[in-house]
Amino acid sequence: MIPRPYFESPIVMTTVRLVAPFALTYGIFVTLHGAGSPGGGFQGGVVITSVVIMIAFAFGVGPTLDWTDERVVAGLFGGGVLAFGAVTLITVPFGGSLLRVDALPIPTKYAIEAVEVFIGAIVAGVVTSLFFLLSEGGEEE
Amino acid sequence: MTDALLGVVIAVPVLASVVPLIASFWRDKIGWYVALIALSVNAFIVASIVRGFLNEGRLSHEVGGVSVPYGIELALDGLSVPILVLVALVSLGTLVYTRNAGPRSNSFYSGYLLLTAGLIGVTVTGDVFNLYVFIEITGLTAYALIASGDDGRSAYAALKYLIAGTVGASLYLIGIAYAFVATGTLNMADLSARLAEVGHSDTLVLTSFAFVVAGLGVKVALFPLHTWQPDAYSSAPYGVAAYVSALVSTVSAYALGRLVLTVYTPEFLVSNPVVSSALVYFGALSIVAGSVLAVLQTDVRRLLAYSSVSQFGLVVVAFGIANPTSVFGGVVTLFGHAVVKGSLFFAAGIFAYRLGVTRLDEYEGLARKMPYTGAAFAVLALTLVGVPPAVGFVGKWYVALGAVRAGETSVAVVIFASTLLTLMYVARLVDRMYYGAAGTGTSETAVADGGTGGVCVTYGMVALVVLAAIAVVVLGPVASAVQETLALGEVLGT
Amino acid sequence: MTGIAESLLTQYYHVVFVLLLGIGVYTMIDAKNLVKKIIGLNVFQVSVFLFLVSSGYLEGAEPAIVKDGGGPYVNPLPHVLILTAIVVGVSLTALALALVVRVYQEYGTLDEEHLQEVMSDD
Repeated sequence: MIPRPYFESPIVMTTVRLVAPFALTYGIFVTLHGAGSPGGGFQGGVVITSVVIMIAFAFGVGPTLDWTDERVVAGLFGGGVLAFGAVTLITVPFGGSLLRVDALPIPTKYAIEAVEVFIGAIVAGVVTSLFFLLSEGGEEE
Repeated sequence: MTDALLGVVIAVPVLASVVPLIASFWRDKIGWYVALIALSVNAFIVASIVRGFLNEGRLSHEVGGVSVPYGIELALDGLSVPILVLVALVSLGTLVYTRNAGPRSNSFYSGYLLLTAGLIGVTVTGDVFNLYVFIEITGLTAYALIASGDDGRSAYAALKYLIAGTVGASLYLIGIAYAFVATGTLNMADLSARLAEVGHSDTLVLTSFAFVVAGLGVKVALFPLHTWQPDAYSSAPYGVAAYVSALVSTVSAYALGRLVLTVYTPEFLVSNPVVSSALVYFGALSIVAGSVLAVLQTDVRRLLAYSSVSQFGLVVVAFGIANPTSVFGGVVTLFGHAVVKGSLFFAAGIFAYRLGVTRLDEYEGLARKMPYTGAAFAVLALTLVGVPPAVGFVGKWYVALGAVRAGETSVAVVIFASTLLTLMYVARLVDRMYYGAAGTGTSETAVADGGTGGVCVTYGMVALVVLAAIAVVVLGPVASAVQETLALGEVLGT
Repeated sequence: MTGIAESLLTQYYHVVFVLLLGIGVYTMIDAKNLVKKIIGLNVFQVSVFLFLVSSGYLEGAEPAIVKDGGGPYVNPLPHVLILTAIVVGVSLTALALALVVRVYQEYGTLDEEHLQEVMSDD
């Protein structure tokens, strides 16, 4: 494989250091406000992934992969899927239908936001791991 | 409570598919056990769903408690029950086979479980857009599983399948977008009522039907939309090729039948006789073209792929005629073809792993070296032809009967001709296996300890193939007995 | 003739949908490079999304969040359909690109004709 040149540029690094926390906050904001304004789980998850990609542009893919541990990323999407499945299946004894969140004892608003957060976690985990796999040149399948 | 099981049966494989991926940080070969547990649980749930169907008739479940025209509905009736049972059984059987044969990595079994979840989702859904999502889930995981072979050809074949399959699914999406613009609803039962109100001869409805049939036709691999199939089946590992050939096209053909028969009801076909004839002729063309192309092949897996084209042509003809007898024949053919084709791929895999043979001329005298597998292979291949009392004969009989009852005797003639054409390539295969000169045609790869890839053929794999051969013979009379319980007349609205 | 021209001018979303569909399919068929075929696939899918979103457009209507005394609301269903379909399209593109990377690793070329030659020599 052709090795990709990596230029360490102080402008990019400084900018990313400043912008990244705000971008992450925006991603979480978009995830939580999916019910009342444009947003939701898919969009927020992708914005959170873009933070990781920005950091990879500034500091290089290898160091970024060591920083966001692989296990954290796998835990994000694994935990997200299991949590979403738990929410789906728990409503069956309460209300008789799958995903019937208005039958749960907690207010509906929190249940919907929880579902959006889990979806955001799944999307962030999956797209981040895709980015890392594709940028390594796809060593294993 | 039984109707909530319709959703649980999709959720269980999806949740189980994450477990091997997370566990791969600690243990490496845990995927097979996770898949076994999840699919066994699923089999129990499917059994209780079938018991619920036998007691109550059509099952229906509204996801999220949102009432029917606005929410997503999961529904199960006589057309979907056989397919659901088929998916549950074949997924367990392929699991037994891939224990030794297939790739045993964790990510393979995650993909396997997601594919099963997608297949079950297509079977139980009652909403056209939900069907699109599940068809795409099925397709994505099938592309990934086909690419899990060892060399680059499987990646290229999977890429071709991806492009063709996505074009097909997008055409289906355009079709349901037109139907949505015409009626404003996406639920299958509601859509059929509203389409009747809009008028079955309306241009928008006709266009949406054309796009839906073209899109699903790519997924079912009818002629001339089948070109992705021979490469995909011959480059994938044998267990994957068996699973994909047995279930993915079968479930897509079920989706086609569900849309043509339940959404655009038989009244649509009656009020547009050109469309009905076009559908039947399209299927008949597949029957003939698939068999003719199969005769020309020299590689066994490509031969089996073209034979699938022919069988699905028969199923589309059955759905195009659209009376209860022919639809029952179509369902029996789907079920029988899935079991037969999957087991034929298993047997071809056993031959390849044990003796290194993949081409037709290397099959000389094979039955003397491996008598049990050879006998099972011959029985399964003869079932494809339609030898009574096996399930292939029962399927063709009901389709031909339905065609004659509907007054389309030319279709019955085509079905009879298809039997002869199928016999042409099956007879060559069986003849070579039993009467060829043994030992002269085997390939150059080392035969001492296991042929290709060092996979050791276990008794379990051979027993699976023999069991399948016995099953298809027994299924013939059983299928006729089941006809009343499926109540396909209600499904068709006649 | 004026009927067709008039309907083409007012329903330009449908014209763009058909144009994009044609461009996408033509790129998929004609391009030699595998990545260009995937780009064509994406353009094809985007045309379908455009059609569905434009079918949900209603002049003078408000977003689908119910307020007291609000006017006509847009049907939120097409928008949600497109969200899901976009996610499906992204997953397909990701898988296709991973397969292209694998093909490149095995064969060293992304040109379709060279690939056919190399594979038939195999």
